[in-house]
Amino acid sequence: MIGDYKGTVKNKVVVALLQAYHDILDYDGMKSILREAEMMYIKDVRDENPNDSIDFFSFKKIISAQNCLLYDSSDLLFEIGKKFSFYLFPFGKSFEEIIDEINSSIITNWRVNIIKNNENEIILQVHRCIFCSEIGVPCDLLKGFLVHSLQKSLPSEYRLTYERDKEDVNDPNHNSFIAKLKIEKY
Amino acid sequence: MNIEETKELREFVFKITILGDAAVGKTSLISQFVESSFQEDYKPTLGANIVRKDVILDKTRVRLIMWDLAGQEKYRVVRSMYFQGCEGALLVYDVTRYHTLDSINSKWLRDFKKHVRKKGAYILIGNKIDLKDQRVIPTERGKELATKIKASHFIETSAKLGENIEEAFFLLVNQILSNHGVSI
Repeated sequence: MIGDYKGTVKNKVVVALLQAYHDILDYDGMKSILREAEMMYIKDVRDENPNDSIDFFSFKKIISAQNCLLYDSSDLLFEIGKKFSFYLFPFGKSFEEIIDEINSSIITNWRVNIIKNNENEIILQVHRCIFCSEIGVPCDLLKGFLVHSLQKSLPSEYRLTYERDKEDVNDPNHNSFIAKLKIEKY
Repeated sequence: MNIEETKELREFVFKITILGDAAVGKTSLISQFVESSFQEDYKPTLGANIVRKDVILDKTRVRLIMWDLAGQEKYRVVRSMYFQGCEGALLVYDVTRYHTLDSINSKWLRDFKKHVRKKGAYILIGNKIDLKDQRVIPTERGKELATKIKASHFIETSAKLGENIEEAFFLLVNQILSNHGVSI
């Protein structure tokens, strides 16, 4: 891990992520990621105050371990992203509120901004995504997170498609991008 | 697969899976390979136990991502995702239990071929050869099955004693490298 990892992450974010690992990979899968991150002690974080924080460097160790072990597993990362959204925001919140809250819950040099929002599409600008900052890692976790976060607020007859500019995972700046969520009625 | 080729060292990342009936020693094979350790007490794997090990073979560095998969029915929905990007498999049976050998062809190889679309390498392993008094499957039966299922290699191991463990993993890695046109 090379870079500057200053910042804080609320415990509820860590709890939601661990719960997502648990749902998709079960207990041993979650443990595998924490073991690889040398962060096994954090598995009981759900007992802590959800609005307390851990340092961003520790959180980034978990994400790096996840990206190492889930190499070439984009479908799983997408599903983990969906579950992450489900557990972080279990109650009704608008997409705009969710984006505000994820920005304020993970405080570091990153940002997700809504730059266009109408009934047909939402366009987001993602600056220095923390989930895919490593070279070679595609951003499937955030994709799953965004898709689920918007999908759950739409009536069932609406279909959502995710588009983004062509991703070159070997470009060191690939974690800054524009994403589009297109909303269509069946 | 990821390849970085330099004058000095070629680098690869391979995802492999370890398949076989419950309690044949899949997790123990990985523990012995990665940590040279063995746990006497048996704890079934829940979901996917995923372990990384970096190995250097000649002038080739290989990062192995090993997926030790539980076989329980509850994982059916996400199971195909566990195999995404998989390049090879260790198919493991227990030399003291006949039905674990039968499951290789009827269940585990079928599972591997169903989910891994590209040409995947696989080898057959007969584990627990340290339990000499309880052994019911002779070496010849394992060899016959390996030939029948077209496994690239067959090897007998003891995860408890650490016998033939590195050899088993390296046989698989060599076969995967060979599938990519690389010879060591």
